[in-house]
Amino acid sequence: MIWKTAWKNIWRNKVRSLVVIISITIGIFGGVFAVAVMNGAIEQRVDAALNEEISHIHINDPAFRDNYDMQLLIPDAEKVLSSVEETPGVNAACGRKVISGMANTATKSAGVQIVGIDPEKEKEVLRLNETTMPATGDFFETESRHKLAFIGQELAKELNIIRYRIDQEMLDNLAARGVPVKVLDRLAPFNGKRFKSEKAFKKEMKTVLSMKEQHEYGALIKEEAWSFRTRSKMTLTFLDKDQMQTGAVFRIAGIFDIKNSMFEMSQVLVQNKDLAELTGLAPDAYHQIIVRLDNPDASKEMAASLEKKLPGLEIMSWKEIQPDLAMMIDMISKLYAFFMVIILAALAFGIVNTMLMVVLERTKELGMLTAIGMNKKKVFQMIMLESVFLSLIGGVVGMIFSKIIIGLTSTNGINFSNYAEGLEAMGFTSHIYPVISSSFFITVTVLIIITGILSSIYPALKALKLDPAEALRTE
Amino acid sequence: MKILEIKNVHKIYNSSEVKVHAVNGVSLDFEKGEFAAIVGPSGSGKTTLLNMIGGLDTPSDGEIIVDQTNLAGLKSSALIDFRMRNIGFVFQSYNLIPVLTAKENVEFIMSLQKWNKKERDDRTFELLKAVGLEDRINSRPSKLSGGQQQRVAVARALASKPKFVLADEPTANLDSKSTETLLDIMEQLNKEEGITFIFSTHDARVVKKARRVITLEDGKVISDERKN
Ligand SMILES: Nc1ncnc2c1ncn2[C@@H]1O[C@H](COP(=O)(O)OP(=O)(O)OP(=O)(O)O)[C@@H](O)[C@H]1O
Ligand SMILES: [Mg+2]
Repeated sequence: MIWKTAWKNIWRNKVRSLVVIISITIGIFGGVFAVAVMNGAIEQRVDAALNEEISHIHINDPAFRDNYDMQLLIPDAEKVLSSVEETPGVNAACGRKVISGMANTATKSAGVQIVGIDPEKEKEVLRLNETTMPATGDFFETESRHKLAFIGQELAKELNIIRYRIDQEMLDNLAARGVPVKVLDRLAPFNGKRFKSEKAFKKEMKTVLSMKEQHEYGALIKEEAWSFRTRSKMTLTFLDKDQMQTGAVFRIAGIFDIKNSMFEMSQVLVQNKDLAELTGLAPDAYHQIIVRLDNPDASKEMAASLEKKLPGLEIMSWKEIQPDLAMMIDMISKLYAFFMVIILAALAFGIVNTMLMVVLERTKELGMLTAIGMNKKKVFQMIMLESVFLSLIGGVVGMIFSKIIIGLTSTNGINFSNYAEGLEAMGFTSHIYPVISSSFFITVTVLIIITGILSSIYPALKALKLDPAEALRTE
Repeated sequence: MKILEIKNVHKIYNSSEVKVHAVNGVSLDFEKGEFAAIVGPSGSGKTTLLNMIGGLDTPSDGEIIVDQTNLAGLKSSALIDFRMRNIGFVFQSYNLIPVLTAKENVEFIMSLQKWNKKERDDRTFELLKAVGLEDRINSRPSKLSGGQQQRVAVARALASKPKFVLADEPTANLDSKSTETLLDIMEQLNKEEGITFIFSTHDARVVKKARRVITLEDGKVISDERKN
């Protein structure tokens, strides 16, 4: 009866209750959705980092990372590798040579890290091959008499291997793809022009195209203007094992695009056999072994157990390799907490405020109920239930709403491409798929209930303080 | 059999700057089955006296004994419980919970007393029938007239089979037709079921129906007449 009465009581003032419920819903949704977006971004970032950039565990000489000294090889690398591969929980592992060098084209040069890999084995640990840009080649799959290098999009741009150009062919293609003559006319003055970078190209486009045209045809124009010369070349120079300058011309095997400008800029993958030949290092000499685990969350424990097995080597889990990633995950969970605290505080204020109003409005009625024998416990319970119902409805509706919206957006993702440059510079993709763990979901729901209960206490206590004789006399 | 003894009861309100001696040495006894009206000018202390009898307010001095229980001896929670089991209340207004139906309002007290469903249903129907509202069982208070609402309140007051029913100006907000109906129902319940009613009123027509009329003035009983 108390439950039923409390339930009916909240619908007395429908407008007020709905306003409270809707604000709770919006608050919860806003908070949960924001968290889901951040969480999605981070998860994608971590996934990308683990799957494409670093894998789960690195093994190398303890001093190797100080200045990438070429002499600091892993002793008995093949043996270490097979011992790692046999360890339960290890999915795959492979060895790499890692040396510093310069990449040069006719016009440009850049400092890079040259990584010598066995493409077939590398693919089992990292999936950088899957990020090959269309029409730029492949991950060392096409046989070639030449030495091959697999490089990042940013480096390709920097070295003018990728560029933007407007020529007759490109304009014809655009016409064929339905770009109106009006727009083509604007582009005509640029016929025959090459742009040094994407930025320079975009800047010029902005001067001739309206916002609307940029929005409608920008992507198409960019795609057609983008040009990659197959069989592009670059020279890699570095020191050999005797500290002598060496180098060779490498053809571009393919270009990868991973939304992490830094990594794209610095990593050049070449085949181990080529690097062995040029440096004079043995083919089975490795500076680094990278390891993929069955469960990335167990990386710390696995690193510790490998450390016991392989004394004298530095074994690092991905959290140590990229402390900024680990820190980000840590920081973000604090941010979630902060977000939720704010939302729950708002919820608490809303409930306290509304329920105080309710108690005040119903002074006479509550006085009457005490008079006819409804005891304090029951009065308290009734007011409390009303508060809890309110927060629960708002909370549950908010959570369901969040779940639905997150569900809808998580399949297709949300495109933040307007901010793409900033996000990609930080290693984030601009297309974010919001996700939320069910544990977060459950925690928030429980917290909402607890907050609802806690914030009902004060108004319920107020109701208890009512003196029936006084209450009945009030007008 | 005495069911209510009021022994030299005083009530002094100190709250405002002036001391108000709202009830000033009232002594009264009530027998089972009485139908008594408390009358007197506004401010004479009727509400204060009824509140003290009902245990809603505590006397500054004197004793109130309901069926051998001295109300002064009860702690606040015990007092609420005592009220629920022994005293029926009908107020001038705000008697009912607006979101509940007539039936649910009457049941409310019984559910607090943890009566089982069957007993509750039977008694509720019986009571609403007794006040002539068996066809309005599922109406909410807002769909009932003022008189009908007061009749539901009477039914609710009787739900826990109280020793007596206290009604503070139950007809103050009613038209004369509804007043008469309500009084007839109360009278009938009194005669046929022996229910004791003590009510305050300003209304001469109500006073006429009473079999005992107690007149208060300045907190004192100035007359106590019984009719037959
Ligand atoms: N809480 C209070 N504090 C101070 N004085 C009070 C309080 N309650 C009642 N009084 C005073 O006590 C006196 C008796 O009031 P009471 O309400 O009992 O009179 P009443 O006979 O019921 O009047 P009415 O016919 O207007 O209902 C009045 O003078 C009133 O102002
Ligand atoms: Mg009064």
